[in-house]
Amino acid sequence: METVLSIQKLTKNFGKLCAVNNLDLEVKKGQVFGMLGPNGSGKTTTLGMLMGVVNPTSGSFSWFGEPASHLTRKKIGAVLEHPIFYPYLSGQKNLELNAMIKGADPGNIPKVLETVELTARKDDKFRTYSLGMKQRLAIASALVSDPIILILDEPTNGLDPMGIAEIREIIKKIAADGKTIILASHLLDEVQKVCTHFAVLKRGTLMHTGPVDDVGKGEELVEVQAYHDDLGVLLQEFMGSASIKKENGLFQVMMKDGYHSKDLNRFLFDKGIVASHLATRKKSLEKQFLEILSDAGHHG
Amino acid sequence: MLHLLKIDLKKMTSYRTFWVICGLYFLTLGFTTASGMEILKWLASKGAEFGASININRVPLYHFPDIWQNLIWISGLFKIVLAVMVVISITNEYQYRTIRQNIIDGMSRWEFLQSKILTNVMLSLMSVLMILSIALFTGFIYTPKIEWDYFLVGSEFFVAYFLEIFAFLSYALMLGILVQRSGLTIVLLMLSHMIEAIIKLNIFRSSVEDQIGFLKQFFPLESITNLVPLPFARYAFQEIQDYVALTAVAIAIGWTVLFNYFAYLKLRKSDI
Ligand SMILES: Nc1ncnc2c1ncn2[C@@H]1O[C@H](COP(=O)(O)OP(=O)(O)OP(=O)(O)O)[C@@H](O)[C@H]1O
Ligand SMILES: [Mg+2]
Repeated sequence: METVLSIQKLTKNFGKLCAVNNLDLEVKKGQVFGMLGPNGSGKTTTLGMLMGVVNPTSGSFSWFGEPASHLTRKKIGAVLEHPIFYPYLSGQKNLELNAMIKGADPGNIPKVLETVELTARKDDKFRTYSLGMKQRLAIASALVSDPIILILDEPTNGLDPMGIAEIREIIKKIAADGKTIILASHLLDEVQKVCTHFAVLKRGTLMHTGPVDDVGKGEELVEVQAYHDDLGVLLQEFMGSASIKKENGLFQVMMKDGYHSKDLNRFLFDKGIVASHLATRKKSLEKQFLEILSDAGHHG
Repeated sequence: MLHLLKIDLKKMTSYRTFWVICGLYFLTLGFTTASGMEILKWLASKGAEFGASININRVPLYHFPDIWQNLIWISGLFKIVLAVMVVISITNEYQYRTIRQNIIDGMSRWEFLQSKILTNVMLSLMSVLMILSIALFTGFIYTPKIEWDYFLVGSEFFVAYFLEIFAFLSYALMLGILVQRSGLTIVLLMLSHMIEAIIKLNIFRSSVEDQIGFLKQFFPLESITNLVPLPFARYAFQEIQDYVALTAVAIAIGWTVLFNYFAYLKLRKSDI
């Protein structure tokens, strides 16, 4: 697959503080790439370097195999952190300005305003917008040039649940067009829903990178419940159980390698017990995220 | 190029402060320069009431070719207003962080600076055009007998005037990029002449004045002032410099290039 972004040994120091540390990363065409990490782990700084506003201390990166320049930036739609606009200009005028700088067709503006549902307020000054409306305008400005890459830093910050779902749909739609998206977010649930790949940063260092589909591979967690008083004791006898926990009135059995939910089902059946609830749970990205961060803690 | 200018103008043309300040500038500039003769007449009539008769026709303020240098020198006093506008325009970009989004959207840092420099060029040209038309208009009204041979003597001051405005706006732009906060920048801009004068006072003590006094003309703000020398002493029968000195132009051009270069250096190095 074609490499869209390739980062080599990218480093940024703010005085003594190392915000990004020897980062190597590749993003391929069509990926929806989630950047995860706790507050201050260097996500925005990394994106800032990619977008030319933060000068790297060392290291390099290339878009489409070419060294970065302002011309490549015109092909990227990006919003870093807060929405930034001229407060005294209307939403419409702000977008016209974005389009002028990007060399985009201003004819796209009504379409993107429609996408983020701001058409009715387009002639009001940006200053008068609510937080969520500002965020929507920022997304509109990222879309105005019909970019081949979209970079979004906390795009759903301040949006209502409907807004969050709408942004998710927008991201999915854009990704379906074969475009590449880089998304920094703390909403792991969202990342798991929309991203194909993810990376985890901690204090500027890359801890993990890989496909989202791999999350929870290899281990199977089975939730089970049955009308039996000693189900907990009984489950201990099952050959395939690695560990057993009780949560929300359900038993969670972590399976040993090679054992699956059907084996547990057969075991119970042989004991004359019929399960009232039996479900395989994939490990959530959130769980994996916390594990990656705490593993890292043990090592360093 | 034109595209970059258009981008900067688009930012300004819906900004009320821009219209207020530019309106104030061009109105006061226009009224002052155009009505000088009327003020003089009024002064003369007041003087007559007190028995002191001034013959205003002895003071050919608005006669060709004197009018060029006279009006241009007066107009130079107003450039601070335009410079304040330039400071507001650039420090706004820092305060609202829109410079960051401009770069993210695909401007290079040099293009961003260019767009601001081009606006400075435009504002300078507009000042020149305004004074040129006012000088032509009033000159034809007030000059009793136009001698075409001398008509254009001193009109090279328009080149100096353009440079004077543009150099000062470049200075204001650089200051804004270095300081980034509007209030502080405006105070520094206002105090610049005084600060430079104090520095000069300390360097050029009377003991060394004779040997190194000529260095004064190399100071940035003095170099801008030297472009158009004060003309009015000639009406008190004193010699004045009624031409544009090439060394003054060279030094002023040198500083203008440096101002914009320093702005570029700062812009290139900093995280935005
Ligand atoms: N301009 C700056 N000057 C000094 N330090 C900075 C600057 N910008 C960022 N930092 C520091 O760099 C580190 C990384 O910050 P960054 O904004 O990249 O984190 P982040 O991962 O985006 O965090 P968040 O999830 O809170 O948005 C932080 O410790 C921050 O304090
Ligand atoms: Mg951030």
